[in-house]
Order: sequence, then C-alpha cells, then structure tokens
Amino acid sequence: MKFKINREVFLLPLQKIVNVIEKRQTMPILSNILLKMNAEVLTLTGSDLEIQLIVELSIDNTEVSEITVPARKILDIIRLLPAESQIDIQLDNAKLKIVSGRSRFSLTTLEAVNYPEFDEKNPHTTMLLPISQLNKALNKTLFCMANQDVRYYLNGILVTISNQQLKLVASDGHRLALFNEPLTEANDIETSFIIPRKGVIELSRLLSDSDQLLSLQLAISHVRLDFERLSFSVKLIDAKYPDFSKVFQQDFKSVIPVNRKDFKDALTRVSILSNEKFKGVSLNFSDSTLKVAAYNPDHEEAEENVTIDYSGEAFVIAFNAQYLLDAVSNLESDLIHISLSSNMSACVIEDPMDASYQYIVMPMRL
Amino acid sequence: MSTELLRKIIHIDMDAFFAAVEQRDFPQYRNKPLIVGGLPNSRGVVATCSYEARAFGIHSVMPSSKAYRLCPSAIFVKPRFAVYRAVSEQIREIFREYTDLVEPASLDEAYLDVTTVQDFQQSATLIAQDITQKIKQRTQLTASAGISYNKFLAKIASDINKPNGFYTITPEQGPTFIKQLPIGKFHGIGRATEKKMHALGIHTGKELTMLSKEQLQSHFGKTGLHYFHIANNQDNRPVRPHRLTKSVGVEQTFSKDISDPILIEQTINRLFLAAFAKLQTKELTAMTVTIKVKYENFEQITRSKTILDRITDPSLGPYIIAELTKKTAISQRKVRLLGVTFSSLESTITSPRPKQLDLFQLN
Repeated sequence: MKFKINREVFLLPLQKIVNVIEKRQTMPILSNILLKMNAEVLTLTGSDLEIQLIVELSIDNTEVSEITVPARKILDIIRLLPAESQIDIQLDNAKLKIVSGRSRFSLTTLEAVNYPEFDEKNPHTTMLLPISQLNKALNKTLFCMANQDVRYYLNGILVTISNQQLKLVASDGHRLALFNEPLTEANDIETSFIIPRKGVIELSRLLSDSDQLLSLQLAISHVRLDFERLSFSVKLIDAKYPDFSKVFQQDFKSVIPVNRKDFKDALTRVSILSNEKFKGVSLNFSDSTLKVAAYNPDHEEAEENVTIDYSGEAFVIAFNAQYLLDAVSNLESDLIHISLSSNMSACVIEDPMDASYQYIVMPMRL
Repeated sequence: MSTELLRKIIHIDMDAFFAAVEQRDFPQYRNKPLIVGGLPNSRGVVATCSYEARAFGIHSVMPSSKAYRLCPSAIFVKPRFAVYRAVSEQIREIFREYTDLVEPASLDEAYLDVTTVQDFQQSATLIAQDITQKIKQRTQLTASAGISYNKFLAKIASDINKPNGFYTITPEQGPTFIKQLPIGKFHGIGRATEKKMHALGIHTGKELTMLSKEQLQSHFGKTGLHYFHIANNQDNRPVRPHRLTKSVGVEQTFSKDISDPILIEQTINRLFLAAFAKLQTKELTAMTVTIKVKYENFEQITRSKTILDRITDPSLGPYIIAELTKKTAISQRKVRLLGVTFSSLESTITSPRPKQLDLFQLN
C-alpha cells in the first residue's frame, strides 16, 4: 500500500469515520479504520458493529491492497499536520509509515481479513430519495426519540414508505414527532423499519440540504444509504413500533393560533420556577389570554400572560415545559397552531405554513 | 408464656376483596366465577377471584391464561384500584374508631392491637364482631376476623371460618393449636419449604417444636429462627401503625431445579406481575426492580434496574426482565429459586407527584 494525499482531502473523511467508531471497544480491530485501495480509489471504513460508514476518495494509484490502522491516532496525526500538507503513506513491514515534510510516523496495523465488514448482499428494496428530504425529515423528528428506554423500539426512528409518502415517527412515549411528505421520486414501495438512535444521529450529521439523490437499499436486518461517495449502513431494530394512530382520532375542541416567539419566551422564563425534576407548567386558556404558570416545591411561583386569538371556554392543561419548548423551537413560522381535546389527552402542535410535520405532547397531571 | 401483659390482636381480612367489590358494584357478576386481574389473552396474573372461581381451583398469582383454561366461562375484569383504595380507606376509618394501633398489611387486611380497649367487656372477640358488622353495614362487603394474642395466630384464625366468619384462639388454646397445625400453615412457610420440612419428617407444629434453634437455623438460615419463635409460642412482633415498607417482592423456590431459559424468563415475568399486584395493594410505586436468581449450587445473585420515572405500567416488565436476565447465567445454569423485588418505594396516597402521561400506556 502506497499513496500520496493532501491533508485537506484526507482529514474530513477521517473525521466522519472516527465519529462512528466507539471509544471503548470489545474487539481491538473495531478501534481501527479499514483502508482499502482499488483502481485509483481509496475507501475508508469505520464500524461499531451496529453502524458502518464507508467513505471513498480518489488517489493516483491502481494498486489493490488493504490494511487496518488505529483510527484515532491516524486522525490526530493528520489533523495536527500543517494545513495543505502533502502526505506520503506507505505500508512497510506491517507498519503504516506516514511522512510529511519533516514529520514521520510509524503506526501499528492489524490485518484487514479480520475486519468485520457488514454482509450487505441481497437488499430486497431499493429506492431513490432526495438527500434534503431525508435530512429535513430526520431533523424535524429526531429530538423526540427515546434514550435508553426499556421499550427499546422507542430508542430510534420509525421510517415508513407507503402510498408514495415518506413518513418518520419518533417518540419517547411522552411526546411524538411525525413527519409525512409525498415522495419526490415516485415508487410503489410499501415498507417500514426502525433505525436505532445512534444510527439516526450519525446519519443526520452526514446529510445536508443537497438536491442530490441518495440510494436507499433495504435488507432484512439493515439499511444502507449511498450518497456523495459515502455509504452508510445501520442494523435495524427488530421490533414492532407501537400504534399511535389513536392520538389523531380524538375529538379536538379547537385550534388555537399562538405567536411562536411570545409563547417560547414565556415558557422559557416561567419554567425557571417549575419543579426541577418534572418541569411542569400549566397553560390556562381563556378569552384572548394564555396564562403560562409554574410553581415549585419551594413555593416559588411564575406567571406570564400571552395574548392569543381564543374565545372558547376556559381550559387548563399542564405539560413538561421542555417538551413544549423542544417542539416550539423546531417549528419555523411566526404563528403556531395548538390543538387540544382534554387536559388528560395529547395536544398537537403544528406549523400552519408547513403541514409536513407535527408534534404531539402528552400532558402532565400536576 | 412470659409474665408480660397478654396482648389482644385482631386480624381483619376482607373476603375476596377485589372480586367482592366488583360483585357489589356490578350485579351481573354476582354468583359467577369472577377473576380480577390480567385478561386471559394477556400475560397477566389473577389478582383476586370470587369464591365461585375458587371452586374451579383458581387462585391469586395464577397466570390468567391458566385460570381461563380451568374455567373458560369465568368473567375476567381489570382491577379498579382507585375504587379499592377508597373502600380500603373506609375500612381503615372503621378500625380507627376502636384503636389507633392499626397496622394495614395491604388494602384488604390489617392487624389491630386492642389490648387496652375498655369497651365490649374488654372482649376482643366482641370487638372483632362489631368491626365486621360495621364493615358490612358501611361497605356491603364481608370480612373475616381472627382473634388471638399474637399476629401469627390472629392471621391464621381469620382464615379458619372464612368467608364472613371469625375465630378466636385463646392463650390457653394457643400451644395446643400450634402443635396440631400443619407445617404449611406456618407464617413464612411456602410450598417449597413445606416440602423440605416434610423431608425432615416435620409435618406439624409439634414436630417443629422438637427441633432446636440451632437445628432450624442450620437448615433454614435466618428464617429458621423465626420458625423457632412462632412454633414455641413466641411471636412478639408488635402491631406497628406506621410501618414503612422498604421493598415488596415475590419469590418462588422450585421443588425441582429448572434449566429451560424460556421457562425461567416466563416465571420471572409472572413473579414480576405478582409482585406488581402486591405493590398496588400496598398502595406503593417503585423505582427499582431487582431479580434474584439462586443457582442449583445455592449461589445467589441479584440484578437490578432503576427507572427514574417510577414503574407505573406492568407492561414494561418483559423489557426490564429481558435486560436483567441477560446479566445472569440462566441460559447455562440450573436454577432453584427466582424472585422479583420492588424497592425505592413511595406511597401513591401521601405523595401525589406530577405524573407525565404516556402515549403508549394506560395511565
């Protein structure tokens, strides 16, 4: 193995790969990065057995060879070399030699044959999707995923492709994010799968607002996405996602328009004096006024009035302020719509200018 | 007996409590086999069943699916704990009209120390009858009473003329009563210990008294000492009005070691539900679940998980248990005892806390 590379070309892919690699590994080879050369292409692979990321780079060498080297060490070396450095890399006697200017390094290696690459044959479904659409879908939902919930299927995002629609659902049981948009690349695929939390977070870091398409290949146990010379694979959560459709079958009393910034600021300030653990705030809807209030076990109280366009019956409901803030922060319009049915059932928060996503927050009993 | 003042203890136990409340509130359930607890197609267990259901061999802690097989015509209903709690509070109010020394053991039973009560010609038996009558008047439910001079005998006595009956074991009758008592009836002796006692040739209280403190301890450890005390008429446990429960658990020893990991996990799930039901009757919620596994060589391990939100929904059980059993050797080793215990308890009554409602759970 022998190639020349520019620091800037090499650095970004290395950083992406190292993000995937876990700091603590049970198998030593998993803390390594797999380097493969073939027909003027260098591929870098990193994995934690749940996620695998492959990045391709062009090089001036047709040699066919492969090796693994400690990921963090090679990243740190490349990162700390001066900008625009030219780097010579060569495998010599089971050591990877890195030479640039007056610096030289010799890294230990492990043989590539033992690297646990994903077995990615036989995808049963293949489709194209705009990178920007998946990016938006993930960004609008991922904050609602559960983290280390015993209901392990909630520690991820449900992706459903059905009826020419792309639908994503994330929920920790207390709140839920739903994204639903027509597919821009029409197909007749009907499928659904759960991407685990870490895979969602890594994938969202790699996606951008690009108009380019990505190719999604679904196999029984994993999904693979190819885009922009990257190939990202993740093992799926093998479980049935719970049914949440009942939430939408309830009888919503009224849709209340609320100024997003006013509401967000009121929530932020009032929640200072809410119970630290439960973050409970009460929302009191009455004629033209939404009163946001909180108190805590030290008998401190906060109250703020937001002017709203409402004239129905007075109504009180309590929520975890953080859940409302997360939802409100992810909406974009100046005005938001809040729909309520009872103070014991879910409320829906929507963006009147963008119907592609909505948030559901379950109330609290204070 | 020692020279100290003889106590007068009453044990009141509601008859088939949850089922009786349901039959009271829903006339269509009366005179029918009724099961309160998990539904037959669920993994739930029987919490309480009516006497009509007991005739089919159904009892509490039995998996609901098995109860269904024993009596397919039985009516299955989910428990309504809010109602049971309200009735329980009514009953406790009645108790407090007689004495402040009331120790509720769960929603449907309590111990009363009436040693110093002067009314009713100082007769604990008359007090007990008055209490059960008052319960019947105010709640239309029946209770059974046991009257004796310690908690162990009072509890046994309340079972003798159940339902809607009472029984008194006087200090004179006590020693003779204990001697004839089958070993399985003793406080803390379950089916597994009963078998072990039988293997040692002990079938009655009399045979139990023939063993020394040391012999019992060597066979049964710390609980051996407890057996020694109750067999020798020395149950001095006081009636404590404010006993704080630290943990609530259920465990099961197998007469034959089990090695099938699926069966083991199913059993732990059943014990989880049984312990959860117990938690509810004690009006508590827990934050920590601990499973206990004793392997065939008596080596014992525990594994626990804490859920900060508190464990309010038993349907989480299988997930918690799957996580905990992964940290045990049940797939490789034989097991002689399994247990599930809840701890980090908090009363559901005295500490109402904000409750976050969940999209996927029954709140």
